[in-house]
Amino acid sequence: MNTYDPLNALLIFIALSILIYFLFRPAKGWFWIIKNNYRTNEKMVIEDILKLLFHNENSGKILNTNNLTQILNFNNSLIIKSIEKMTANNFILLDGEQLKLKPLGREYALRIIRMHRLWEKFLAEKTGYDKSEWHERAEQKEHELNTEETNLLASKLGNPLFDPHGDPIPSKTGKMAIINGVALSTLPINTVGEIIHIEDEPDIIYKQILAENIHIGSHIRVTENNNTRVSFFSEGEEFKLAPIVAGNLTISILKKDIINEGNIARLSSLKKTEKAIIIGISKESRGENRRRLLDLGFVKGATVSIDLLNPLGEPNAYLIKGTAIALRNNQASKILIKKIN
Amino acid sequence: MENKNIDDILALSKELRWQIGDDFHDHLAEGIYADAAEIVGDAITKKNKKNKFSIDSKIDRIVTSKTWGFPIMFLVLAVILWLTITGANYPSSLLAKILLNDFHPLLKNLATTINTPWWLSGFLIDGVYLSVAWVISVMLPPMAIFFPLFTLLEDFGYLPRVAFNLDSLFKKSGAHGKQALTMSMGFGCNAAGVIATRIIDSPRERLIAIITNNFSLCNGRWPTQILIATIFIGATVPAAFSGIASLVAVIAIALLGIFFMFFSSWALSKTILKGEVSTFNLELPPYRPPRFWKTIYTSLIDRTLIVLWRAIIFAAPAGAVIWLISNIYIGNESVAAWIINSLDGFGFLLGLNGVILLAFIVAIPANEIIIPTILMLTVLVTGISVGNGAGVMFELDSANATGEILRAGGWTLLTAVNIMLFSLLHNPCSTTIYTIYKETKSLKWTTVATVLPVIMGLIVTFLVAQIWRIVF
Amino acid sequence: MDIKVKSACDTCAHFNAKGLKKLGVNTSNFDFVIALAGNPNTGKSTVFNALTGLKQHTGNWPGKTVTRAEGGFEYNEKKYKLIDLPGTYSLLSTSEDEEVARNFILFGKPSVTVIVVDASRLERNLNLVLQILEITDKAVLCLNLIDEATRNGIEINTRTLARDLGIPVVPTSARFNKGIPELIQTISEVASGKIWCKPHRIKNIPKNIEKAMEKLATKIEKEYPTIPNSRWIALRLLEGDTQIIKALKTQEFV
Ligand SMILES: Nc1nc2c(ncn2[C@@H]2O[C@H](COP(=O)(O)OP(=O)(O)O)[C@@H](O)[C@H]2O)c(=O)[nH]1
Ligand SMILES: [Mg+2]
Repeated sequence: MNTYDPLNALLIFIALSILIYFLFRPAKGWFWIIKNNYRTNEKMVIEDILKLLFHNENSGKILNTNNLTQILNFNNSLIIKSIEKMTANNFILLDGEQLKLKPLGREYALRIIRMHRLWEKFLAEKTGYDKSEWHERAEQKEHELNTEETNLLASKLGNPLFDPHGDPIPSKTGKMAIINGVALSTLPINTVGEIIHIEDEPDIIYKQILAENIHIGSHIRVTENNNTRVSFFSEGEEFKLAPIVAGNLTISILKKDIINEGNIARLSSLKKTEKAIIIGISKESRGENRRRLLDLGFVKGATVSIDLLNPLGEPNAYLIKGTAIALRNNQASKILIKKIN
Repeated sequence: MENKNIDDILALSKELRWQIGDDFHDHLAEGIYADAAEIVGDAITKKNKKNKFSIDSKIDRIVTSKTWGFPIMFLVLAVILWLTITGANYPSSLLAKILLNDFHPLLKNLATTINTPWWLSGFLIDGVYLSVAWVISVMLPPMAIFFPLFTLLEDFGYLPRVAFNLDSLFKKSGAHGKQALTMSMGFGCNAAGVIATRIIDSPRERLIAIITNNFSLCNGRWPTQILIATIFIGATVPAAFSGIASLVAVIAIALLGIFFMFFSSWALSKTILKGEVSTFNLELPPYRPPRFWKTIYTSLIDRTLIVLWRAIIFAAPAGAVIWLISNIYIGNESVAAWIINSLDGFGFLLGLNGVILLAFIVAIPANEIIIPTILMLTVLVTGISVGNGAGVMFELDSANATGEILRAGGWTLLTAVNIMLFSLLHNPCSTTIYTIYKETKSLKWTTVATVLPVIMGLIVTFLVAQIWRIVF
Repeated sequence: MDIKVKSACDTCAHFNAKGLKKLGVNTSNFDFVIALAGNPNTGKSTVFNALTGLKQHTGNWPGKTVTRAEGGFEYNEKKYKLIDLPGTYSLLSTSEDEEVARNFILFGKPSVTVIVVDASRLERNLNLVLQILEITDKAVLCLNLIDEATRNGIEINTRTLARDLGIPVVPTSARFNKGIPELIQTISEVASGKIWCKPHRIKNIPKNIEKAMEKLATKIEKEYPTIPNSRWIALRLLEGDTQIIKALKTQEFV
């Protein structure tokens, strides 16, 4: 005990804490980085390249090796070695500088995309992970599942056709539903449509869309579209986005306004004395949450009114089928209503 | 060959599933409710349009109002706690007198008259019997007051309104409003609080409530806090204010517990629990007058006795261990003394000492026996001639006398503050740990719930000790 | 108004008070198993206590009974074992409570399922009732909390309700021990086969789901001709319920 000094003890403790923080802090901790690097292998690199080529092929762009080394976050020698292996395996062909997919490679890419989107669907339906995390986690998982596990997962989820962002999920045989949509930023004023896809990359823009509380499946009417701003009206509220953000929303154009949007609103906007009829639950409410709401009677056609307002603002209690049920605002905002008198 | 046809059925179901699309569940739910509406339309006539009793609306408007909602809540909780703590005093000391002061010597005498060997009577009577008796006398009265009161409120229908009022506070830390109630239940007994988390039907929030319940200062720990605060904190101010000062100290510890509850709820929901499914809904049932006697009866049977029984089962071996380590010798020293010596250095680093650490280890089964164990061990190592011999737990009637023993054991104000902190922030008692395991059926979550508070306790007491020594 | 269909209680034999013995937890050698199902907070445990003489914890708070409680009573020399299932709003989801209730009604094969409902919130409660009636065809509707409904100005025509649902309906006020004798009598008659139920089947299902369900159900019936709930099993298969798939393979419910 002769060397003990409280100050030293404290300093040692602080130093240790800082070290642990840098090692284990979420995502950027050294421990995780090293672990990820350790796990990175040729298979991952090959699969990521195939996916990249597939997406670019669809949008008509052609890549060369240089592009790959710039876009992908792996070291160059690994990328070059992978390309060699892929050519040998008949996945791709080198057309001069350009890399092109061969049928085998395309098939492989579709398999990876299927796993990725199924896993996102799984995360959305069966777990509590926040949607801002789905993509990142699926990026990892797509390299880990084998085909059999993927098929099992698909049948457990009821063979879904779309992932939670609205992207089609390739079937076992590589078939994909086609989406007919256009970017929101290209639509003229007064176009009516339904949001069918929200792009989850790049991350910064996706987070902005999430922050705006914009949901897939919502009906919209464009009210303004110019260089600085795209605005639209949806579910009783007006949304204003930068064109670059609006470009990441895909809209399927509707001939006529199926829902009389003048009256449509979110349950969260209901006032104490008002009454409303439920029109539906937004696609954004998923999994167990959605089922609970349906079980509790928040179904199309049910009458709803406010039973009690909360002293702290939320949750408010709604009277539905004779019972007072309290819901938080983020739930109530996903229930669409039509106000009645 | 049977299986062949089943595979056919399954294949068909998969194919059909593909055809009916993603909205299957929605359509089904809507369909069932449509049927329900038709049937109800047929069979029901309503005389008045209102869906709710007017008396219910009136009560609701008051208990959830901006001005009255919160004061009513705190008043109710304060009254319950006050009734529990003060109301338990008398029956507790009565039980202690009967079981500890009267019956224990009686048993000992009986043992001597029938010539039981000293080690057997020591092991059984001083060890096992004494700790069980201790747990009963400290634990039973407050629980027998607390649970019926709480259950009456539950039966009336007030508790869901409390969850309703407080939910947005709990939401901020990723928890469920109903955690307010399981937390309050924890003030009575953590094991009961953990069982009460069954009312939370969302998996993530339920786990949060289970893991953080231990931060509610339970009935087994209130007396420790009060005693230590009276002896050491009360003594730092003029005698006239000592009552107030120790009261404030105890309340501060309880509030600190609530702070840690919120903090770890938040941290858990952001880290290891973020993948668990999280849902929310809170039904506000109609008010119903409670059935007084029936409620009291069932709450005694259901809650009090079950928890007490579990506590007894765990306390018995603890008493045996305490007696054994004080009476088995290695060389010249008892096992207890050996352990205390080796823990002393680490204890000093935390502003505690080896006796306290050993007491917290052997008293894992029940927080109630912390103080008697500490006193016995202190006497054992200091050689003061109080108490009834090695391995026999005891307590003194006078706080002053207790204080003298503790000071003789080297206690300072820092030791007192840190033992109050450590008594708040350490592993749950074994009854609670066992209950957590039964409720979660998971070793992983049981371990988290056990280890997390200890780590916090070690860090907090360590920091307090160092800073204290630097400042003073 | 008065329809020809016989309501359950037209034929009710009189309750035989001397024949009743509450057996508490003693449930050995029973003749019939009775399941108590219902939404949370509708008085299931109160009914359970009234029938068995036990003192299960009741409380005005949805979701207290999670563990399964068992008890028994004897009536007219037959022994009945009673199971208090956890309260649920539905049987379609995946929560633990719902699984317990669903599995018991499906695989536990109770002689009678007593569905306890809150008379003043009938519509909400029917959601569960209609689902249970898809699973089992021996059921009794216990229209509990009838005192609250009356205070609320709600009048229920139990005959119409019994006709629409196809099962006997017994109004009770379990807390005040009203209607319990009638409930016991009705349970005994359904259990012994004196009352024959013809439960309601869900009608308002969209065409495409209905078709898929019928197609699958027909196929299941071909395989297991005696199965009473082929439609429900078809629905569960369409949901991809892995437990049902497993049970089909092991033929657990035939
Ligand atoms: N007024 C009235 N209250 C009842 C009746 N049956 C039950 N209760 C009350 O309703 C509440 C819920 O009862 P409980 O049996 O715990 O419901 P469970 O959740 O379905 O088991 C308790 O407060 C009971 O006292 C009844 O027939 N009339
Ligand atoms: Mg119950």
